[in-house]
Amino acid sequence: MSTPFFIPLSFKDAVNHAVEWLVGQYGDQFRQLSGLLLRGVLLPLESVLRAAPPWLVLLAVALLAWHASRSAGRSLGLAALLYLIGCFGLWDALMQTLAIMLVALALALAIGIPLGIAAAWSDRLRRVLLPVLDVMQTLPSFVYLVPVLMLFGLGKVPAILATVVYALPPLVRLTDLGIRQVDPGLTEAAWSFGTTRWQLLLTVQLPQARPTIMAGINQATMMALAMVVIASMIGARGLGEDVLAGIQTLDVGRGMQAGLAIVILAIVADRIGQAYGRPRARRTAEPRR
Amino acid sequence: MRMGNGKSIAAGTLAALACLLAGQPAQAAGAAASPWCKAGKPVKLAGLDWESGAFLTATLQLVLEHGYGCRTETVPGNTVTMETALANDDIQLLAEEWVGRSDAWNAAARAGKVKAVGHVIEGAAEGWYVPDYVVNGDARRKIKPLAPGLKSVGDLPRYKAVFADEEEPAKGRFLNCPTGWTCEGVNSQKLKAYKLTDSYVNFRPGSGAALDAEIASAILRGKPVLLYYWSPTALMGKYRFVRLAEPAYDARCFATLADKDHPAPCGSASPAALIQAGVSKPFAESDPVLVGMLEKFNVPLDQLNRALAEMAERKVDARAQARAWMKANPAVWRKWVPADAAARIAAGL
Repeated sequence: MSTPFFIPLSFKDAVNHAVEWLVGQYGDQFRQLSGLLLRGVLLPLESVLRAAPPWLVLLAVALLAWHASRSAGRSLGLAALLYLIGCFGLWDALMQTLAIMLVALALALAIGIPLGIAAAWSDRLRRVLLPVLDVMQTLPSFVYLVPVLMLFGLGKVPAILATVVYALPPLVRLTDLGIRQVDPGLTEAAWSFGTTRWQLLLTVQLPQARPTIMAGINQATMMALAMVVIASMIGARGLGEDVLAGIQTLDVGRGMQAGLAIVILAIVADRIGQAYGRPRARRTAEPRR
Repeated sequence: MRMGNGKSIAAGTLAALACLLAGQPAQAAGAAASPWCKAGKPVKLAGLDWESGAFLTATLQLVLEHGYGCRTETVPGNTVTMETALANDDIQLLAEEWVGRSDAWNAAARAGKVKAVGHVIEGAAEGWYVPDYVVNGDARRKIKPLAPGLKSVGDLPRYKAVFADEEEPAKGRFLNCPTGWTCEGVNSQKLKAYKLTDSYVNFRPGSGAALDAEIASAILRGKPVLLYYWSPTALMGKYRFVRLAEPAYDARCFATLADKDHPAPCGSASPAALIQAGVSKPFAESDPVLVGMLEKFNVPLDQLNRALAEMAERKVDARAQARAWMKANPAVWRKWVPADAAARIAAGL
């Protein structure tokens, strides 16, 4: 196994000790932070979603879809797909998954868009950031999940953190790309009118980059959904748990139904997101065609 | 049919002749020659992923490879998948089968597709535990006993605040088995039978890794935790736990616990575990030599717990630990195999 060619190298003991020390020393503080996120944000949202009558949620989704696409057919179709999940008996699980996703997505947006803008402004930051994003996307999630859940406790909070880690990279990349792609002539003209950097960002760069950033948000949403089953492996309830239980007990049908529900949720999120990503002019023009 | 018979007799004669001509009568007459492995077929083992399962599987692999010249492979998967694979002869050997606990196994055993042999582990235990310091405190770590009167599952409602769940703080948290494991269903029924559903959240951690991480985290921080666990395991070898008393084992009541859809289960401790090696029907029929070895295959419980705790402590993989343990304890495994195989194993380690 070990040939003299390779210098023996291992940092596993150091990592193990560091994790043990961190948990023993600061575990309680991390748990408090986790409790704050749980009781302050996630549980209220979840209880609202679970208490709301399903027709109200369906109506809200249909209205959102209509606002995004101005197409009655499309919004009805998307609402009907969600209705189907309820027919499978998975409505409650859907609401739990939705709550985790929405919180994770909000966190990802709050971190990812500023980070993307900063990366577009600074080449040096971008050089540092890119490999970090690669690691976030490819490091097998259990490698960091187990230490994370030792610190934050089992359940929904580590699930949200894992989802943020996985969903963040495409959002940062596409925000960065969108702003860098803004026509230099346009920026030049804005500068010559004496705009400040913030005015430039708010009035020229962000509006121009909007479709790309929306695509980033869309990507982040899809990535977040890909984490639903992983989230259930660290004790988060929802659709993922049904998939997991189905697979673990060889109840293929149950796993398939819950899996399909995740696909439906992804389709609904994707279509609404995409519709918002189209330039405003085309969006309003579309129904007249 | 007749032709087939004629053919196989001819083949047998030829093989015998070939053996004689090759001058290897000693090998053919040897005490330890496995027909399955001699036919060139690999023995596929269930790649059990819990500690004792992984250790016993690795030990068996070393015995098969060195003692009998077998090729071995492990196939990863969860228990139910592995039991199904065994029934289909997709794998031939499952090192640690808790006989009678799962529907998949019971159905396959009834149909005669799988066979349980030997007594792999004796004296294994499972139940509901809390760390010792929760009941007795730990002066050295300055931990006060948080539930001094906690002795049985009946005391749990009084102490629900000690084990408060983060997501539903009004209830306690019972750390169940991961979703879909056989023990998860039994424990969920036990929560009902012990009338704990109003005071405790049935928390399923989703995976074995998550369960272990949560327990290790609680113990590192000296916090209370209520869990289901089983021995032999590294965790049980490493830390001290108090097992909560349950109503005595009652076969009729346990049947209502094992049926996860039973509406009115009654309380019962889990039966003493019968842990055997599982083999597929074709393997059992064609290889009396290896089945004979499996009948003697057993690692004494205290040795096993120590080996597992050492494996966790040194963070070595199961194969390395199995090799180290076999080197240190030849007296145990020499009982499993005939002298010639033992000599080959000793040379191979």
